Amino acid sequence: METGSAITWKYPSVILKGDNSTGEFYSVAVTNNYQQADTGTKMQHIGKNTRSRIVSKGISAGHSNNSYRGLVHINKNAANSRNFSQCDSLLLGDKCGAHTFPYIEVKNNSTVVEHEATTSKIGEDQIFYCNQRGIDTETAVALIINGFAKEVMNQLPMEFAVEAQKLLAISLEGSVG
Amino acid sequence: MLSIKNLHAGIEEKKILKGINLEINAGEVHAIMGPNGSGKSTLASVLAGRTDFAVTEGSVEFLHKDLLELSPEERAGEGIFLAFQYPIEIPGLTTTNFIKTAVNEVRKYRGEGPLDAVQFLKLMKEKMALMNIDQSLLSRSLNEGFSGGEKKRNEIFQMAMLQPRLAILDETDSGLDIDAIRIVSNGVNKLRNKDNAVLVVTHYQRLLDYIVPDFVHVLYNGRIVKSGGKELALELEERGYDFIKNEVNAGQEA
Repeated sequence: METGSAITWKYPSVILKGDNSTGEFYSVAVTNNYQQADTGTKMQHIGKNTRSRIVSKGISAGHSNNSYRGLVHINKNAANSRNFSQCDSLLLGDKCGAHTFPYIEVKNNSTVVEHEATTSKIGEDQIFYCNQRGIDTETAVALIINGFAKEVMNQLPMEFAVEAQKLLAISLEGSVG
Repeated sequence: MLSIKNLHAGIEEKKILKGINLEINAGEVHAIMGPNGSGKSTLASVLAGRTDFAVTEGSVEFLHKDLLELSPEERAGEGIFLAFQYPIEIPGLTTTNFIKTAVNEVRKYRGEGPLDAVQFLKLMKEKMALMNIDQSLLSRSLNEGFSGGEKKRNEIFQMAMLQPRLAILDETDSGLDIDAIRIVSNGVNKLRNKDNAVLVVTHYQRLLDYIVPDFVHVLYNGRIVKSGGKELALELEERGYDFIKNEVNAGQEA
């Protein structure tokens, strides 16, 4: 979870040294106003049959820029390794930006690496649909964002997930409408 | 209940509604028919409070309040429900969670406390049985990957949960097969009572076989040019919209 500072660079990484080891990285990064975030992870596959999974969700609002930058490095000896990366970005408003920079370095030919990325925008239509059911715009945005970040939120312990949802709502307060 | 007087509305420079007059009382079912581009969906959107359309003239009163002064969510709180022609998808948000939030927001608007989980589940079970809708549909993300029929059924299920005073069905029959139309119509009919009203917007008479209207209005070129009972829908089905167009054009020339 990342909502923090004016400029953030952060790449918590995993070294998969032992054979059959696995690494997982789940993140939600929120930027608002003029924040700049450039965050992601490094997965260093060294051992054989190592597996990694990256799920990154970026939410940009205001005039902010939110980048995912991730390295998947697979060594010559890391035979039969697998990586799956998914990077989804959500834009609020038309002044913000979302960027995805995947770095993939594979040194053997028995490895499978997958990368998927999507960018979407909260639509007027989605907001109006919620409004028509009696839900005000602020609550509607919170619902849509929590839906977007759900895959990551589901990984969190329940108590923390509740806090995280509130944190998301607070970080984006007043950013729409 | 609803009183529309001389309503003009449009989008940017383009005028779409050019003086609509319509009175709807509690317990009535009104149908609005008309050819493509006559302004039917615009009328539904304006009543629900979509801001894309600017109202330039006229008034709309709903339960003695000036509807045009209210925001879309306030209108929902007052009891206006729009079943969308194209229901919107929200990935990751379960249908149950969405409906629960909607029900509690509407209750809040009316000064009632939120339903707790037990009360909400009880209400939902009751309405699920009434609408013949499956639990698995409600656990899925809102409208995401739903078939056309499932989306429309979900709209009517939401209508059952929110118990509106005025339900506006915007071409709810479009894209549905005969069985789905029957299921959706049965749902609407079960929700009808003497205190609420339904406004059905449709191209085809077919839907009106199932949801029988008390009044049928024909919208053409931004105006209601003809009103009548349910037999008017049958006449339209038989003769097409051309005879209405001819009548209107002849009237203008004279």
